[in-house]
Amino acid sequence: MIRVESLTKVFRRPHTFSGPLGPLRTLLTRRYDERTAVDGVSFEISAGEIVGYLGPNGAGKSTTVKMLTGILTPTSGLIEVDGRVPWRDREANARAVGVVFGQRSQLWWDLPLIDSLRLVGDLYDVPAARFAGSLRRMCDLLGLDDFLQTPVRQLSLGQRMRGDLAAAMLYDPPILYLDEPTVGLDVMAKQAVREFIAETNRLGRTTVVLTTHDLADVEALCERIILIDKGRVLYDGGIDDLVTAYAPPRRLVVELADDETRTFEIAAGRPIPELIAQVAAEHPIRDLSIREPDLEGVITRIYAESER
Amino acid sequence: MAEVVRALRLYWRLQRAAMRGALQYRLNLVIGIAAGVAYQGSGFAFVWVVMHTFPAVGGWSLREIAFLYGMRLTAHALYVLPFSSLIGLDWLVREGELDRVLLRPLNPLVQIMAKRLGVGQLGDLLAGLVLLVVALPPLGPASILFCLAAVVGGALVEAAVSLALASLALRTWNTLGVRAFADDLFSKFGSYPMSVFGGAAQWALTFVLPVAFVAYVPASVLLDRTGELNVPAPVAYGSPLLGVALFALAYRIWSRQLRHYQSTGT
Repeated sequence: MIRVESLTKVFRRPHTFSGPLGPLRTLLTRRYDERTAVDGVSFEISAGEIVGYLGPNGAGKSTTVKMLTGILTPTSGLIEVDGRVPWRDREANARAVGVVFGQRSQLWWDLPLIDSLRLVGDLYDVPAARFAGSLRRMCDLLGLDDFLQTPVRQLSLGQRMRGDLAAAMLYDPPILYLDEPTVGLDVMAKQAVREFIAETNRLGRTTVVLTTHDLADVEALCERIILIDKGRVLYDGGIDDLVTAYAPPRRLVVELADDETRTFEIAAGRPIPELIAQVAAEHPIRDLSIREPDLEGVITRIYAESER
Repeated sequence: MAEVVRALRLYWRLQRAAMRGALQYRLNLVIGIAAGVAYQGSGFAFVWVVMHTFPAVGGWSLREIAFLYGMRLTAHALYVLPFSSLIGLDWLVREGELDRVLLRPLNPLVQIMAKRLGVGQLGDLLAGLVLLVVALPPLGPASILFCLAAVVGGALVEAAVSLALASLALRTWNTLGVRAFADDLFSKFGSYPMSVFGGAAQWALTFVLPVAFVAYVPASVLLDRTGELNVPAPVAYGSPLLGVALFALAYRIWSRQLRHYQSTGT
């Protein structure tokens, strides 16, 4: 469905000089500052997959998504989405993809939500009968009925995000890009968004690319993740394999009598009772627990390793 | 053809939505229209005063100048009315708002044009048309057609210059200043017989920035004054076509520059 090969995006800006004559020099010289946001990224995503596209701030996630949607033109490399090159065939590509940017609403700010949804229906040439059906389905799945008539600028963030999801899926695109769809949402709203994504994927076999900083999103939805940092792919594969391959050791956390908390790494193969006995012999223990490695720990470790 | 019909239909739908949105801020809208009318009124009053002080400018009578002024103003209003939202392009680019436009399956320029209708410019259009009709010299049907074509062509000349300059905003350049400057040149120099400015200035306003082609050249054709022009008569007769050609060129530049759009960090 999506094929990306050696994708690279270099941003080029005129070099800004400092000093009293700085602006003039900026204007007159042809020096540029270059920043490589995406650096030789390759992956393939099949129809019906939900893939988590993860990376720290500034890793190149949004830039990749913007190239996949045709907003940005790649500096080099190849992209094919459903057989099309997005930047060259932007309008046809737009019909095949739904996009939600958590940081930026696509809805008409001053108009009631229903007006935005109608306009989206118009823009994507959805016939009236199909639009009515789609709208009904979206209202049921996302519980939009209560605020359909409310101007978008008066919606809460959670309501607005549900409105954005409806707008992105109204025309049944086979592909859905979600760029931080749960950013800033409360627990209930996050849950609603996740359920909607899972349901959309299950019913319509929609291919989903999800970028997020909330690993709970990933654990709830994705079987596969692509990890990037500094524009390069660090890992591409199943979540389970990732945890097994990179799992940091389990930890024994003990709370001592004088309110101090100490953490001990449990070396692979070492019997736990033996470790506990040893710690207990040296310190007075009030409470203890064993921490299993989680995805967050794994990912933090991968980023830390790539820094070196 | 079906594509053009679809674009026009969607333009109209989006424009109506934009107007519904603007109506949420009624006072804003009323002030905008009032300011537009007041601004044009003052410009018009200026010409009136000038013409009452000097009976003729560059050998042109009051009536002829009024006709030229009317052609220029009508052409200008016809350009601003649909293209007024181009003013916000610098901002759309810097804030990454152009993302939204590029995500939709509709020509980006059509979407940007549909963001706002220059309602404040209805005053310009009205003033221009009144002047044009009042000062209209006795013309045959063919000349009337030429006059209409010339006004549209003039609007396209201004639109072309504005669009070509605005395209540079896609490289995150600050284009508002230079666009305001060009607009200023069009309105300050476009409404008078160019012969009064002298050789070099007239040459620059004809061949560097084609101000003369908005109204002066076609008005000279209609007033039978092609002898005074610094372009051959056949070129003057073809002036409405220049607008079409320049706009086509500007649109190509725009489409090229669209690939350089860099969006924002998030």
